Amino acid sequence: MDISYQIPRAALVWLLAAVILVILPQSIRMPVWISLVAFSCVTWRIFIFRGVLPYPGRIMRVLVVLFTLVVSVTQMRNIGIGLDSAASLLTLGFVFKLIEMRQKRDIYVVISLCFVMAMVAFLYSQSVLSTLYIMLVITATIGAMIALNRSSLVSDNAGTARLAGKIILQAIPLAVVLFIVFPRIAPLWAVPLQTGTSTTGVSDEMSPGDISQLGRSGDLAFRVQFENISPPLHQDLYWRGLVLDDFDGETWRRTRTSSSYSVASALADFQWDWEDRVNKNGNPIYYNVIMEPTQQPWLYSLHLAESETQEFYRSRNFELFNNGLISQRFSYDLRSFTNNQTDLILLDSARNRSTRLPESGNQRSREFATQLRDSVASDRDYVYAVLSHFQQNEYFYTLNPALLAEDRVDDFLFNTLEGFCEHYASSFTFLMRSVGIPARVVVGYQGAEYNRFENYMMVYQYNAHAWSEVWLEGEGWVRFDPTGAVSPERVELGMEAALGDDPAFMEDGLFSGLLRGNLNWFNTLRLRLDAIEYEWNRRVVNYDEEVQFEFFTKLFGEVTEQKVLLLMGGLASLVILAIGLTVIRIEPRSKRAPLDKFYFKICKELGKINLERKQGEGPIAYRNRVCVARPDLSETMFELTDLYVKLSYGENSQNDAQLKVEIKNLKVMFARLKSHLGPLARLKQT
Amino acid sequence: MFSLNAEKQSETQANFVDNKLSQQVQTIVDEVGKALLGKDHQIRLALCCLFSGGHLLIEDLPGMGKTTLSYALAKALGLGYNRIQFTSDLLPADILGISIFDQNTSQFTFHPGPIFNQLVLADEINRTTPKTQSALLEAMEERQVTIEGETRILPEPFFVIATQNPVTLAGTYPLPESQLDRFLMRLRLGYPDQQAERKLLEMSTEKDKVEDIRQCLSVKDVIQFRKQSSEVKASGPLLDYVLRLINFTRGKDDFHFGLSPRGSLAIMRSAKTWALMCGRNHVVPEDVQVILPWVVEHRLRATLDDDGHTGASLVQRLLNEVDVID
Repeated sequence: MDISYQIPRAALVWLLAAVILVILPQSIRMPVWISLVAFSCVTWRIFIFRGVLPYPGRIMRVLVVLFTLVVSVTQMRNIGIGLDSAASLLTLGFVFKLIEMRQKRDIYVVISLCFVMAMVAFLYSQSVLSTLYIMLVITATIGAMIALNRSSLVSDNAGTARLAGKIILQAIPLAVVLFIVFPRIAPLWAVPLQTGTSTTGVSDEMSPGDISQLGRSGDLAFRVQFENISPPLHQDLYWRGLVLDDFDGETWRRTRTSSSYSVASALADFQWDWEDRVNKNGNPIYYNVIMEPTQQPWLYSLHLAESETQEFYRSRNFELFNNGLISQRFSYDLRSFTNNQTDLILLDSARNRSTRLPESGNQRSREFATQLRDSVASDRDYVYAVLSHFQQNEYFYTLNPALLAEDRVDDFLFNTLEGFCEHYASSFTFLMRSVGIPARVVVGYQGAEYNRFENYMMVYQYNAHAWSEVWLEGEGWVRFDPTGAVSPERVELGMEAALGDDPAFMEDGLFSGLLRGNLNWFNTLRLRLDAIEYEWNRRVVNYDEEVQFEFFTKLFGEVTEQKVLLLMGGLASLVILAIGLTVIRIEPRSKRAPLDKFYFKICKELGKINLERKQGEGPIAYRNRVCVARPDLSETMFELTDLYVKLSYGENSQNDAQLKVEIKNLKVMFARLKSHLGPLARLKQT
Repeated sequence: MFSLNAEKQSETQANFVDNKLSQQVQTIVDEVGKALLGKDHQIRLALCCLFSGGHLLIEDLPGMGKTTLSYALAKALGLGYNRIQFTSDLLPADILGISIFDQNTSQFTFHPGPIFNQLVLADEINRTTPKTQSALLEAMEERQVTIEGETRILPEPFFVIATQNPVTLAGTYPLPESQLDRFLMRLRLGYPDQQAERKLLEMSTEKDKVEDIRQCLSVKDVIQFRKQSSEVKASGPLLDYVLRLINFTRGKDDFHFGLSPRGSLAIMRSAKTWALMCGRNHVVPEDVQVILPWVVEHRLRATLDDDGHTGASLVQRLLNEVDVID
């Protein structure tokens, strides 16, 4: 016997809407075929409802399970055990459950899975937009629950939507409170998130073409907010990432001892103490950086940065490393000393590292360098000579440079003459090293876009940049940017000014550079939205244990265990009270007329001598009872009750003024009754 | 089922005012009381029902004085009276009347049935078949009967006093809810107390007493009484109380069905008459409480009910759980 439950039409519509909504964001990330499977399951479900298709039979169900197994195994082999493979497995199970949803309990399973899927979506993105979207999904899911529990005859979808919206709105304050006070417990185990995703941002290797690739992307790299002061000039915004000091004739690399990316200490070589190698001059600049996930451990900062609150690894080349990969948005506070001098005395090992070149190759460049060095007096003059060489010759700054032949530096310097910042930084550093001047390539970002709405700066991937640092006697490491010599706009105004007309600029982005630069309102809107996103990240996504602790300290002074317990207890009882009130739903009593109020007072007073009026007892019956029990009270009781009955039930309806007078009379009688009762009540007590 | 306590109690609750009307009522009660000893409260309720213009159903075991009560009432009020003994072979025509061909005039002449009387005693109404029971339906509600396509108006006033044996007895056809609802009140007489029964035994025959009852009111007085009762004032707080009572019966699991608007009208009508009979021109909650059991008991039914007598306990709940003043 197979009597399957017929799901109400309205409930099915709501449920399928919720399912589609919850799968949509996943389908962007998942392989296309999973989305196809998902949507065909939804369609199948609709056909089952219409009676066109049957429920899947036993064989079909076994096949589906096998299919899911095979898929999950292959997924795990291909992209590893991680969020992506788990999410696609969950999605498959979820959509297959749809077609064998026969009983009411199956529908509840699907509804619960909808909530789980919504949570999974948060693992991918926690932006404002996705939060709003998930709220929409949850509203639809709740709508499905409501529709399921309504009579199948009622299909008042607007009413369902209203109720679902009301439930969500009621839940928001509770969610906010829980968000603020709920203890942030560190996860017991870590899920390897996003194993399949590639690293983004600047890499620790630089070949020609690498950074120009980033120039095509309009993605955000990080946001910065400067504390108290107005931000530095655009040309001073060099966000140092990594120092590349190993050149093999083609690629600049970071010298590293270990190949593992995840062990930051290995990348940082070891924890270097900078203090005796630097001269900190001038006032420090304080700023906060919120980095987008890069899957890399290094951080970006202005030159010579240190953190007061967080523990970062510091390398010998003044780079900063986080302990672990940046796999989520990451916020850190830094202070930088801009007028600084570093490494006034260069150790031999460092000098060796910074002057090393391949044995052979690029002969023409080496000769050119030697000649030029011989023609000037000092190292500094030589640097300027090289820079003016770039400036005076027909060098061209472009995102699409010509491909380079074997001897890349030679080819670029003397043949093609066109390149992106990595070409200039690379060849400039090569020219320095050929004559024995310590020099190195630094990669990171240059410039930023200012968001006036929230007073912070946005650094995009197309701001990626490479420049050089040269060690000069008596000055230490000095930053030189050969790109600035070729295209001053790039440094002073930014990428958009320098390459805004280049069709390759930001071609990977959603909106082309053209649209971006020219439409004023669009630009304003973009900045506004980003400002909201920034605040969201700062205040909500970054709300961790530490911030919570700080917040409570600000509110209640020192946070003690007692206070925390009190707060939690108070809030818990508040929540329970609120739930209790909604469950019991105490109906507000219609306001009692003053006369009735007064009569109740009399009854209460008589209650003191155990003669309270019973529920359902009429005033006359009550009077009779009282008179039988206490004949001494009968005169007053008669008077009181008669007046009350006359006022309340009598033939002549009273006007308000009359009623007031009568109530006054009643009060006089009541006072008499009270004076009579007082001693009695006391007597009874003793 | 046949307890007396509730009745005794409710009598003391009534708030009497001594005036012409209440005296008049007292005279009738005393007069009828000569025939039905020790049942003053029931007599009063029966009067209340008749003065409200409603029909009365008396349910009790055989030999409790049901017929005596109705006969005595008819005499005291001076109403034209006829009695129909309901048996299982009674036909509608036996009640309503029939046209018979008259040889002399060569025409059909209508011979009115016993229903064409001011007071009709339908004795043992539940011993007849539903077909005949329903013949009373139109008469009771519309105060007219349609026979052979012709509608005939019944005399004014028109009362039906029906008696029935409890449905648990053999050979009864329970009245359907639709018909029960048409009776304003359902009374139970109950056993007389010892004192009354002694007095009863001292008397020679019952019948003599009924013969002795003299007429206390004219038909005009009865109609006048009915008119006056509709003018009794029910204040806002009182209407609120009645509304609370009615709402209490609706939409609850324990109640198989709630009171119909006809039921709520019946409560108001009887309460007003009761107030009038007590000599007052306004209704007090106690009036409602006195008549409530008799007016709504037969209209209420618990969800689990097999003999139609769960109404009494439900009424007790109404009285105890709905507060007079909210």
